[in-house]
Amino acid sequence: MRSKIAALLAVCVGLGFALTGCGSDDGADTKAAFVYVGPVGDAGWTYAHDEGRQYAAEETGVETAYVEAVPEGTADFANYVRDFIDQGFNVIFGTSFGYMDDMLALADEYPDVVFEHVSGYKMNDTNFGNTFGRMYEPRYLSGMVAGAATKSNLIGYVAAFPIPEVIRGINAFTLGVQATNPSAQVEVVWTSTWFDPAVEGDSAQAVLDKGADVIAMHQDSTAAGEKAEAAGARWVSYNSDMRAFAPNAFLTAPVWNWGPRYVEIIEAAKAGNYSPTAYWGSMADGIVDLAPIASDVDQSVVDMVMEAKAAIIAGDLHPFTGPLNDQDGNQVLGAGEVMDDGAMLGMMFFVEGVIGSTG
Amino acid sequence: MKRPRLNLREAPLPGGQPLAFAIGLTIALFVGTLLLLGAGHDPVRIYSRMFEASLGGPDAWAVTLNRAVPLGLAGLAVAIAGSMGLWNIGAEGQIMAGAIAASWVARIGGDWPGLVLIVVMLLAALGGGGLLAVGPAIARARLGVNEIITTLMLNEVAIRLVQWLIHGPWKDPGAHNFPLAPMLPDQARLPTLFSRAHYGLLIAAAVILISSLAVRYTAWGYELRIAGSSEATARYSGISLSRKILTVLVISGGIAGLAGGVELTGTADRLTESISNGFGFAGIIVAALALMRPSGVAVVALLFGAVQIGGQSIQTLGVSSSVSTILQAFVLFGAIGAGVFSRYRILLEGEAPAVPEKVNQ
Repeated sequence: MRSKIAALLAVCVGLGFALTGCGSDDGADTKAAFVYVGPVGDAGWTYAHDEGRQYAAEETGVETAYVEAVPEGTADFANYVRDFIDQGFNVIFGTSFGYMDDMLALADEYPDVVFEHVSGYKMNDTNFGNTFGRMYEPRYLSGMVAGAATKSNLIGYVAAFPIPEVIRGINAFTLGVQATNPSAQVEVVWTSTWFDPAVEGDSAQAVLDKGADVIAMHQDSTAAGEKAEAAGARWVSYNSDMRAFAPNAFLTAPVWNWGPRYVEIIEAAKAGNYSPTAYWGSMADGIVDLAPIASDVDQSVVDMVMEAKAAIIAGDLHPFTGPLNDQDGNQVLGAGEVMDDGAMLGMMFFVEGVIGSTG
Repeated sequence: MKRPRLNLREAPLPGGQPLAFAIGLTIALFVGTLLLLGAGHDPVRIYSRMFEASLGGPDAWAVTLNRAVPLGLAGLAVAIAGSMGLWNIGAEGQIMAGAIAASWVARIGGDWPGLVLIVVMLLAALGGGGLLAVGPAIARARLGVNEIITTLMLNEVAIRLVQWLIHGPWKDPGAHNFPLAPMLPDQARLPTLFSRAHYGLLIAAAVILISSLAVRYTAWGYELRIAGSSEATARYSGISLSRKILTVLVISGGIAGLAGGVELTGTADRLTESISNGFGFAGIIVAALALMRPSGVAVVALLFGAVQIGGQSIQTLGVSSSVSTILQAFVLFGAIGAGVFSRYRILLEGEAPAVPEKVNQ
């Protein structure tokens, strides 16, 4: 790599700096590295990111690489990133919230490298931006499917950590449930895990034992789905289409589609015109979507959901539209009022219809 | 059926540890080559990257040494308890307790001068880790409750405590409800010695040196080793076992806590759930490979750190984390574990006259 740079430099000097064309607009010079918080595995958050990486590699033709299972808040993250940069990688994706401050510092240290952070909120003016998706849109749609499917009117939600992202998902899901079944309620169980099949399976079992007949979830494991399958209940998975793990229980899933966004970043880096943004993509952008609905779901339900999906994409339907009350009956939004992004990003309350507490 | 057992050699093998190390490393690298070939990688490229990233220059050394610091302190914590035949499986939690205590000091002492702040943070870390070991220590000393179980279980308590703090009272109000503790004040960071290697190296080296000397040359250390080799002998010679158990376990916890404090001020920006990053459990392996001798911990920790850093680095070449972990284990046990055979031999029961039990040193 060093000799390559030297050669490039020599060419630049030879041609004189007045001539353009020595920027890194040659695809061979752009290399993108991904740092994942979990193992890639065969379903879940990291799996969805790796699908995106492979898509981006194919679409852009750039070399990509990844490291998996990198813990947050340790020296490991920066060690890996420096290793990558050492090997000539100049686009770094970090796909977990806890990498945020490390990325901010590294972006400052390596101004020629593009850093894109998934799920955080910090950025700089030159080479560090962030990306996330409005998962609440397909969450709402998956809630509609779940609301139509429940007979006991109790839906279990196996939730990860009480942070805004997860709470927003629970609320959007619950509002979707109420759109098709106003008398159904959603009971939340916190696992304090992102990936722990034993805990997540046990938590699903606990709500199933209480009479829930549909289970939704936020973690990376398929354990909740397997418990639902065994109990003859239904399941809304998350992150990726997990139907293979519980074919009878699976209803649908709000899923991530990172590929096109990764292509966008890599292309910008390649062209030398990357500029950082706080990107919060929607279903209309394609970064989030609803997995195909199970074939045994009534066509009338599918039609209703597809109609809502079209309305969300067209901008005619927003899941967080008033009148909206919190769990205790206090009004959050008046009739017709739409929640702004700031309120959604910091959401720390449950809407009416959720059983459980946010802490 | 005859059971195999480790038997102390009367004299170490000619060539001793270095020779065993070389042979073990060769075998490990050979087995690792098969593994890498099986997984479709070029072993030469992988091994050279492993070396490059861990020992191939000042920057690499800095990363390795920073890793060796928490490994060494955690290993020392386990080894000190181990010198007396006690198992501290709770270093992981004690590291967290130490980091919690140090973070607490940083919260109240945000405007203190750097040196004062860091010293008080590290003392608090020592105390925090020690505090988490008090329960198991009393239970073991007074009631004979197995310390393996109690120290292990407290790991869970410590991680939940960190989670609770981060999600609750210590959540950074500027973080939009994200579960993040605030960043440490700038003057609470350990300065660096060279490249990115921080002063934790000197702290760890000093603590390991003092502990080794104390265990080997003081009356206190002598009693410790007597108690470790034979409880009956210790009782007969009038050593107060329960007091010894109490102090040793609390010191052990304190040293692990110090690892947490050093890690916090040295490499982390803030208190996080992964502040201990498995160092507490790795410390058990470090101590075991050092044969529970505090003096051996430093060398083992350095090699362990190099293997870990090198092993992680090869993941950037496309080696999966599982293959990398297996490879790290091969090298670790091959290279360091082989050292055991220079001092011990494997005998089948009843095969040879047992050499009298020797006190660990």
